[in-house]
Amino acid sequence: MEISIIKAGLLTTVQDCGRYQHLAEAIPVSGAMDQLAHRLANKAVGNNDNLATLEFTYANASFKALSPILIAYSGDGALLTYNGEVMPAEKPLFFAAGATLTFIHNPHGVRTYLAVAGGWEVPEVLGSKSTYLPVKFGGFEGRKLAAGDVLRSSEAISTVAAAIMQQLSSKALIYPNWRISRESLLPLDRKTIRVVLANEFSWFDASSIIAFLTKPYQIALRSDRMGYHLSGKAMVRKTKKELLSTAVTPGIIQVTGNGDLVILMADCQTTGGYPRIAHVAAVDLPLCAQLKPGDEISFTEISSDEAEELYLQQEHDLLLITNAINIKYTNTI
Amino acid sequence: MSEQQGDIASGYSISIYALSEKALTVVFGNTISERLWRQVSSFNQLLKQNPFPGLITTVPAYSTLTVFFDLIQVAQSDLPGKTCYEKVSGYLKQLSHSAPGLAVQAGKHVVIPVCYGGDFGPDILTVAQNNDLTEKEVIALHSSAVYSVYMMGFVPGFAYMGGMSQSLSTPRKEVPQAAIPAGSVGIAGLQTGIYPIAIPGGWQIIGRTPLQMFNAARQNPALLQGGDTVTFKAITIDEFNAYPV
Repeated sequence: MEISIIKAGLLTTVQDCGRYQHLAEAIPVSGAMDQLAHRLANKAVGNNDNLATLEFTYANASFKALSPILIAYSGDGALLTYNGEVMPAEKPLFFAAGATLTFIHNPHGVRTYLAVAGGWEVPEVLGSKSTYLPVKFGGFEGRKLAAGDVLRSSEAISTVAAAIMQQLSSKALIYPNWRISRESLLPLDRKTIRVVLANEFSWFDASSIIAFLTKPYQIALRSDRMGYHLSGKAMVRKTKKELLSTAVTPGIIQVTGNGDLVILMADCQTTGGYPRIAHVAAVDLPLCAQLKPGDEISFTEISSDEAEELYLQQEHDLLLITNAINIKYTNTI
Repeated sequence: MSEQQGDIASGYSISIYALSEKALTVVFGNTISERLWRQVSSFNQLLKQNPFPGLITTVPAYSTLTVFFDLIQVAQSDLPGKTCYEKVSGYLKQLSHSAPGLAVQAGKHVVIPVCYGGDFGPDILTVAQNNDLTEKEVIALHSSAVYSVYMMGFVPGFAYMGGMSQSLSTPRKEVPQAAIPAGSVGIAGLQTGIYPIAIPGGWQIIGRTPLQMFNAARQNPALLQGGDTVTFKAITIDEFNAYPV
């Protein structure tokens, strides 16, 4: 399966579940910012979660099928259209060679993932196909996609993907009657971010912690795949302690020297020396991935046990989705 | 060596906190010291030799070792504990008491050739003048010490090293340089380091190594790892140009 990019949009890169084996060499995790949408797009075409998808940033992008393609998309940055009609998300979509597909504006978020049966084929670098733009490695030639780029899928597709292809092509359908319900995996309120207080939260005075957990914060312009700067009530330190540089990870909320909050995201550095007030619950990190400058959010505290339980519950739900698709097409789990 | 064995024989004194649902940080202390560096390095080795189900990777830092794991595998493991945090932290605590006398496999020793001064080290005179030294003395001091790689961070392949002579200490530049070439060896305060990739920076640049400190195409992309030791060896410009990369 093959597509050519007609318009690449603001920032389109190849991403997967991330690069974990080289953190000790200061190589960031990278990977899809919205891991949930990335995984659901993969699941909808019968892929393993870790296969490479394309991460689109907002809309203004289009591509053409150079062969028959089985694709799926998920996320909130754009809606996929074909002949002026919006295509359903989290559902396998089958198009003949020559079809032109266009992403149009979706006001709800930032990032959208396009999966293809077999995954997008790019060389694996250090155990991942994710693009790390600051050092220009991984993904498609270490860079963002541009008009004219041709992307191919891996030839090895799953039996589920083959069965979906067979079902849709034999009946001349674009999509089947089922879809994955992404909404059921996300909270109703997507602007309240659940956090677990971090090791250094007690370094800040009580009024700062109260403000952090009750006042609104705005996503600042200085926000990208490395991290989001927030504007709002600044944190005041009650101790002059210094944190020796130590490992950090996406989701951590650092407090910079002037008291500003920064949420670390997929391309963040592997270590940092700013005190950390909290970390975003892993299940809510996909919500953060869809935030854009100007969006107003608030934080609410949960316990680390609760965050762990929410994560395990969501992984369980995701496994059930995979099993359901497998049973439907292959009668196996 | 005796200090090293002493540390382990008496066990590790650690505390643990959750960094995220999928990572715990083991704290050995709160200072930059050879002693803590040895503890972090040896505990890292000990854990790698005795992994728990679901261990993904570890990140050593000055006085901490952060342990990343797969929550599902930990949840399904028969490690004792109600939550994954209890399972992993319990395992790490137990590991910190056990295995006394285990031989610590030190990190590797790396000799880094450096062509000092000239176009490669435009700030070597600044370092010399700041410390009332000659250029030759700067080179002799810098290339005679044994450095410890405390941790990696900042950019891929960048090593935070300790062990530089205090007589070389020089403040950073007030205005960072737009692009410092890869391989540049610099000094900032009491630290020395090597730029693995071309990036802007404010360090005083005293030379350049022909070695590739970072290359994503290699199996081990970073030449250095936390726990390694380093010495610098002065080379001439001809040796630099003839260096096989």
